[in-house]
Amino acid sequence: MNARATVLPVLTVLGMILALWYAAAVWMNATWVFDQAERAGATVTWAEVIPQTMSQDRPLLPPPHQVAAELWQGLFGQAITSKRSLVYHAYVTFKGTMMGFGLGIAFGVLLAMAIIRFRVMDMSVMPWAIISQTIPIVALAPMIITLSSQLGLQGRDLPKAIIAAYLSFFPVLVSMVKGLRSPDQMQLDLLRTYGAGEAATFLKLRLPASMPYFFASLKVAVAASLVGTIVGELPTGAIEGLGARMLIGSQFGEPLIMWASLFAAAILAGLLILVVGFLERAARKRMGVPA
Amino acid sequence: MTALWLAVGVWLAAWALNVWLAGSRVSTTGLGRALVPLIFGATVLVLWEGLVRGLGVSPVILPAPSVIAAKIAVELPVLWQDFAQTILKGAIPGFLIGAGAAFLVAIAIDRSPFLQRGLLPIGNFVAALPIVGLAPILVMWFGFDWQSKAAVVVVMVFFPMLVNIVAGLQASERMQRDLMATWGASYGQSLLKLRLPAAMPFIFNGLKIASTLALIGAIVAEFFGSPIYGMGFRISTEVGRLGLDMVWATIAVAALAGSVFYGLITLIERWVTFWHPSQRH
Amino acid sequence: MKKLMTAAFVAAMATSASAEDVKLQLKWVTQAQFAGYYVAQAKGFYEEEGLNVTILPGGPDIAPTQVIAGGGADVMVDWMPAALAAREKGLPLVNIAQPFASSGMMLTCLKETGITSPADFADKTLGVWFFGNEYPFLSWMSQLGLATDGSPGGVTVLKQGFNVDPLLQKQAACISTMTYNEYWQVIDAGITEDQLMTFKYEEQGVATLEDGLYVLEDRLADPAFQETMVKFVRASMKGWKYAEANPDEAAMIVLENDQTGAQTETHQKRMMGEVAKLTAGSTGALDVAAAERTVASLLSGGSDPVITKAPEGAWTSVITDAALAQ
Repeated sequence: MNARATVLPVLTVLGMILALWYAAAVWMNATWVFDQAERAGATVTWAEVIPQTMSQDRPLLPPPHQVAAELWQGLFGQAITSKRSLVYHAYVTFKGTMMGFGLGIAFGVLLAMAIIRFRVMDMSVMPWAIISQTIPIVALAPMIITLSSQLGLQGRDLPKAIIAAYLSFFPVLVSMVKGLRSPDQMQLDLLRTYGAGEAATFLKLRLPASMPYFFASLKVAVAASLVGTIVGELPTGAIEGLGARMLIGSQFGEPLIMWASLFAAAILAGLLILVVGFLERAARKRMGVPA
Repeated sequence: MTALWLAVGVWLAAWALNVWLAGSRVSTTGLGRALVPLIFGATVLVLWEGLVRGLGVSPVILPAPSVIAAKIAVELPVLWQDFAQTILKGAIPGFLIGAGAAFLVAIAIDRSPFLQRGLLPIGNFVAALPIVGLAPILVMWFGFDWQSKAAVVVVMVFFPMLVNIVAGLQASERMQRDLMATWGASYGQSLLKLRLPAAMPFIFNGLKIASTLALIGAIVAEFFGSPIYGMGFRISTEVGRLGLDMVWATIAVAALAGSVFYGLITLIERWVTFWHPSQRH
Repeated sequence: MKKLMTAAFVAAMATSASAEDVKLQLKWVTQAQFAGYYVAQAKGFYEEEGLNVTILPGGPDIAPTQVIAGGGADVMVDWMPAALAAREKGLPLVNIAQPFASSGMMLTCLKETGITSPADFADKTLGVWFFGNEYPFLSWMSQLGLATDGSPGGVTVLKQGFNVDPLLQKQAACISTMTYNEYWQVIDAGITEDQLMTFKYEEQGVATLEDGLYVLEDRLADPAFQETMVKFVRASMKGWKYAEANPDEAAMIVLENDQTGAQTETHQKRMMGEVAKLTAGSTGALDVAAAERTVASLLSGGSDPVITKAPEGAWTSVITDAALAQ
């Protein structure tokens, strides 16, 4: 699919979403305008209502331009080191995501190696790895925070990273197990005829064979890691980061702050996926697979 | 301290047993397959119990599994009420509506390659977003009862499902589709007899992802306002009351519910996609 | 230059080594409700006492009681009902000072729902915070004889989130508000004061003691820790009195410490003004009569009391006596 063939359809769909959004904003915010008018004992017509739905301080659904303005203000309106800057908070969340991502990759790869090597690991741990993903992590988040402070870990960076890693290790684990097992019997036999030991087989055959699987899992893992970090910041009283900002926006009844943080998170997610996708393509090219 | 060493001893012995089991002939039977992970799970609990008792960990930090089990036995009615509120009223209807809506949208745009090309990148993008962040907003819109929880679940489930169904509908091969055409199959027949069955592995993949998302969504949404029951409510309230045994009891219920949910989908998948290579044993 | 830097470094090392470290766990996020502590820190009152205080903000899933139980903090700010309930659960917390003399909690109702007195609560939906803040409400309702389990004739309780939306969206007839925070969000949202009916816990005679300072009983046995707490309370109260006298400056100090950057000047200045009314008149010493009233109110919980027996040793005047003597 070439780029030009996608741009127009994507823009069309985006346009439709924007139109729907505006319509919904008018419809949802109108209730408040009517209520206010009724409390004041006045009547209003739709022609008066619509402009009022576009610029409320606490809209039920802020129209796109209000969100865009708040987002612009948060991203570019101040020094990026300021605590009011969304760039700063996105950076905090990014840091947490990367720590969790790294931790998740390390844990996933090591576990996959152990599972490939030892049958007993495969049999006893693999089912629990699957079950671990069915436990809603949010239920564990407060526990993780207390337990880690109990173990003397300062700050909330590490607990946040653990929550992120909990979500991101699984796709890596599954893909690596598949990838490390992907060499077929013939290839394994060939290496044996060369007199290759276990370590050599692993380094020269299994590991290279698993790389495409590994890179394919990274995109899923980085998105999962971001979700984990935000969940870690949201209800567990992290003080900085996009998740914490959403919470404060909700608490102080500032929907615009909430929406702007949400979109900042979306932009961050998009950038992360782009970068990981780029790495994937670069790695594939180096390994000789046509991109 | 003895409790701790005892637990470590039990753990080592059980691990040795597992190593032996995995190497023996039992491991190829269904019994062995179930036994090894069960022994592993049990030893983790024993180790936990030993750690808590041996190191004298305060029950307001981490209760022992035996205490949690006792709590589950006593509080069964409350746990059931929470389960009904969060899973039966929040997660499952949301899951069904979200998956159903994704299916309808996928079919609706199936005939328009233009819309598909536009929606797929956006759907892929949204599926990777931290949608849980919408939870406070949806609670504001739909009220504090289960409706808002179901709404969060619908949004969380919809995009991963949509992406998987659209991808699945394109999974049948050109040649197969041409063959249907030569037989004079209508659009509907071709969809029903060829393309939907071919899409099933993708759809079930999406359903599995969605099942865990559904639980997360339903529980997070309760943090932002709820009636005075529900699993998210219970967790956030009991942490504040230092009722950690109740928190872990609820986590145990959540884990059990999640596993059963996931297991059910896997079972149905096996039954529906018996023909797929991944189901051959 | 290099020598100077080394000297400065050594000096810094020396002060940090001799300073006594104190970690204070707040009950909620950084806001003017805790202005006294931030002022004491910013104005150097803690430093003057030779203390190195770290202020840890709280949040929706952080129970100060659990943090202190886990050794994550030395002293915490919490409400007396939560502290007494934790004490009954086996966590021996002791009140060492009470900066908040009166309660800022109230129920705020929309007049259009027809509520004019507590008798009208029956069959209405009321919003309450949980996470340890539900105790004063539950004991009030049981004194009114209203069931809270949703049975007919009682009240339907809803766990409200962190904002006033349930009232604005008419999902609840009344919601819990603090005089210094949520009430003003309702007003900000465009509802006027005469459209609202408020019931202050203080005026209904069901007030329980709010923000107090609590430590673990066994640590208090250590004279060195006692001395540190004396200094801490003295400096904190100095901070509070300064904040009362200079509310605008205090609000700005709080704002500087808000790491989310989402708090606004208007909110914090107004909050400081209202909080000052609650701390006014408190020297930091606990009013034992008020504490006993709190206990009585919590004990009178009907079938499901918050605490089952009167606590012993749940407060001490040792610290405040020493702190105020000088």
